[in-house]
Amino acid sequence: MKKIEAIIQPFKLDDVREALKSCGHDRLTIYDVRGHGRQKGHKEVYRGQEYEVDLLPKVKLETIVPDGRLDEVVKTIIEAARTGKIGDGKVFVSDVSTAIRIRSGEEGDDAI
Amino acid sequence: MALLSTEERRRGESVRERFFADADGLRAVEARTRAVDGIVRDRFDATLGNRPGVAAVAVGGYGRCELFPHSDVDLLLLFGSMRDVERSQDEIGTLIAGLWDAKLVVSQSVRTPRDCTSLARDNTELHISLLDTRFVAGDVSFLRELQDGTLPRFYLRERRSLIRALATKARGRHKSFEDTPYHLEPDVKEGPGGLRDIQLACWMAQLEHVRAGRIPATTECLPSWAKDETLDARRFLFSVRCYLHYHHGRDRNVLTYAMQDAIAQDGDAKAYEGSGPDDMMRDYYRRTRSTYRLARRTMDASLVSTNTLASIFRMRKSRLSNREFAVTKGEIYFRDPHAADHSPGSVLRLFEFQARHGLQLSRTAEQRIRTQLPALRRHVESSAGHWRHLREILRLPHTALALSTMRESGYLPCLIPEFALADSLVIRDFYHRYTVDEHTIRAIGVLKDLPGATGGIDCRFASLLAEVPSPELVCLALLYHDLGKGVKGRPHEESSAEMVKAGVLRIGPADEMARKAVVQLVQDHLAMSTIMTKQDMSEPAVLETFKAGVGTLERLNMLTLMTYADTVAVNPLAALQWRKQLLWRLYRRTRSIFERDHGDKRIRPGTVEDVLDLASDADDRDALAAFLRGFPERYARTHTAAQVRRHAGLAADLRPGRATVSSRRREGFTEIVVICSDRPTLFAALCAGISASGADIVSAEAYIREDGLVLDTFRVIPMPGGELLQFGPRGVQQIERRIRALAEGRLDPSDLVHTEPRTRKRPSTGEPPLVTFDNDTSAGSTILSVCTSDRRGLLADLANTISDAGCSIEVVLGHTQGGAAMDTFYLRKDGAKLGQGTCESLTGRLVGACQIRTG
Repeated sequence: MKKIEAIIQPFKLDDVREALKSCGHDRLTIYDVRGHGRQKGHKEVYRGQEYEVDLLPKVKLETIVPDGRLDEVVKTIIEAARTGKIGDGKVFVSDVSTAIRIRSGEEGDDAI
Repeated sequence: MALLSTEERRRGESVRERFFADADGLRAVEARTRAVDGIVRDRFDATLGNRPGVAAVAVGGYGRCELFPHSDVDLLLLFGSMRDVERSQDEIGTLIAGLWDAKLVVSQSVRTPRDCTSLARDNTELHISLLDTRFVAGDVSFLRELQDGTLPRFYLRERRSLIRALATKARGRHKSFEDTPYHLEPDVKEGPGGLRDIQLACWMAQLEHVRAGRIPATTECLPSWAKDETLDARRFLFSVRCYLHYHHGRDRNVLTYAMQDAIAQDGDAKAYEGSGPDDMMRDYYRRTRSTYRLARRTMDASLVSTNTLASIFRMRKSRLSNREFAVTKGEIYFRDPHAADHSPGSVLRLFEFQARHGLQLSRTAEQRIRTQLPALRRHVESSAGHWRHLREILRLPHTALALSTMRESGYLPCLIPEFALADSLVIRDFYHRYTVDEHTIRAIGVLKDLPGATGGIDCRFASLLAEVPSPELVCLALLYHDLGKGVKGRPHEESSAEMVKAGVLRIGPADEMARKAVVQLVQDHLAMSTIMTKQDMSEPAVLETFKAGVGTLERLNMLTLMTYADTVAVNPLAALQWRKQLLWRLYRRTRSIFERDHGDKRIRPGTVEDVLDLASDADDRDALAAFLRGFPERYARTHTAAQVRRHAGLAADLRPGRATVSSRRREGFTEIVVICSDRPTLFAALCAGISASGADIVSAEAYIREDGLVLDTFRVIPMPGGELLQFGPRGVQQIERRIRALAEGRLDPSDLVHTEPRTRKRPSTGEPPLVTFDNDTSAGSTILSVCTSDRRGLLADLANTISDAGCSIEVVLGHTQGGAAMDTFYLRKDGAKLGQGTCESLTGRLVGACQIRTG
């Protein structure tokens, strides 16, 4: 099993959800997050006052997939979230040793 | 012995069955109390019954015979001495274990009568629970000693500190529920207006009326009106809580959406016999708001009687009384008790008074208003001039309190009949936490609290609010923005927009642009949220489309603040910083486009068709089109067709080398329009002329058409002692003649005689002047922004400084607000943007111009 964590633009959330639903994967956890990548922040002047705009609003989504579906799901996320501009975000993949459904006690892929 | 006997189980089931048959919560809790009494008595007799000098005493809710199906059983075991307690340890253990085995959740305490008043002096809950003691088993003489001697003496001695402690705890509890009973999923026990608040009022009254040898019964000392109100609320809330306990099989008291459906629709339950969950929740809020008010009034009154400082503070408030309203003990009364009957207009003035001073309305004043509601509704329908007072209510500091009282008294639906649709309306939503009406009033409260922002991104929105000349329009839009949620079957923003269109004609401002702005704000109130989360705001086309829909920078400012207030008022726990950041990004990017276009975007054929569509006929259309062509597009967006037509008429009569000046009295200011041909230092000369006439420029806009026609508009108010105030219509004509001479170059500004009017020193913002140049945003102009404390003649001095540096002023947007002046100039020098050197040298001179003559 793999865990996919994707940081995407907030306005791309609906597109990504729809795309994942279309490919038969609709289990997601969503967070509203703020952060920055390589670009870091910038200074903004408003009415003569200078503000540091260093953390930009993004959406983070997490999902766990069986190994066999990893490539398809990652590809789906990337295609749906891409605008081609700076700030599109990133996808991280990591191993998950197991999953357990609390209600039924099912384990492994069955619990996803 | 330990487990429930068949008879005990049967009694418990019978209580449950009867409740599900008649939904009478009051009877159910009493019946359960009696059933539990039987169990306690039985286990007590079997364990401690043969011991002399011991009693089982019910306290707290159990003592009041209000034992809900899964409430804790508060049991006091009263012993004559600690030695007796030590000797009975085994029996006490057996008794408690037996009660737990009988499925009772027992909260027991073992004390001597003396312990009850001396131990744990800070334990308010224990002492309050002892207000309601009831004999269950054992030696009754002990309890008599406690009830008739020890406890009354203790309460007489300690009641002030107990009342203060009770009030402090209640305030903390209310705060944890954001001080409102209007939660979509309320807690029927602990929530504001819930069962705990009814009990709070009873405890306060009991403590107030305790006498030597006697503690009054729980509801005995409530005023008769409060008894009626609480009886109704108790009957309803007891039924609901019983149902929740039976449904969950435990002490859970949150009326979730699922439970609302279950109670309102479950045919077996019959806990509520209305027509559905929405009606049931309206009934719920109607009752809890009255008990919440009762609890707060009781707390306030008790605190005044126990706290000298609070009492002195209240007495000082009495000085706010005027000829219409009296302030007594911090509450507002009509001086004439029948004022609401024969002078219905006084009611709106009463709420204006409340919005100004932030005081609570007295119960008698509220009752007066309630009884006169039909007549007040007729008065609102049949008369005009309500905006003057509503505007003040929306501008003053305590708007949210006044609106809240207007809602609770029933007056708000008189003024805005559509508000009835949102009254206690539950719209189930993942993010929303309050009813629609509460969310609406909270959103306005958010806006009112914004100037007090102390850090972070809120400060940016606060400075934006300071730029908005009529924040009351945003409040009015907020008042209407969600009313459409009361209409099913179509997007609520559409219904709300229809309502506000009719509403502003009835109770809104006379100014057409202001009315349009309010309607558009309501119509577009979801636009920014939608773009933030659904569209790519780095895409220029997205922003251009949005900007075109908004129309003007002023409306963007208002829409941003409205979106901010709407977002924050949804739920204090939602990801607010995240949303505020997104909103600010969208605002800044859109604002930047407006700033660019103010200098660059000119009216061309086809660009302002919507304005031309308002023309009366083809000739009118051609005349308007010819006049508009070449002006900055902003001009057409910020003026009504009637204003454009008037300006076109003035320009049509203009002869070469001459100027036309026209002034008009408007709501709260005089508007002076100057149309003439451009020439160097013109704007500075006009500002100097207006200033010399004893007028204060509140806002100014200056436009130059591509062919050199200048159209400057000044909104001015008279300075005390200045000519504008002293002169009648003929005097105004003299001022017009003077300004015309300046515009035509026949009068040199240095020849003006500056009369120094009698004027009080202006409040300074205390901030140093901020002067910034922006050479990136506009293609053809440098944008100069000056933000400083306002003073008489400031705009003239700034314009002079700019002209002296050889710069031409293309566009001016300036206004003052709250003692601060915010002026934006679009400048060119020799037909191009200003160079770095010019900007640097101008900065110091402009800062100097801001500071001269201050203090």
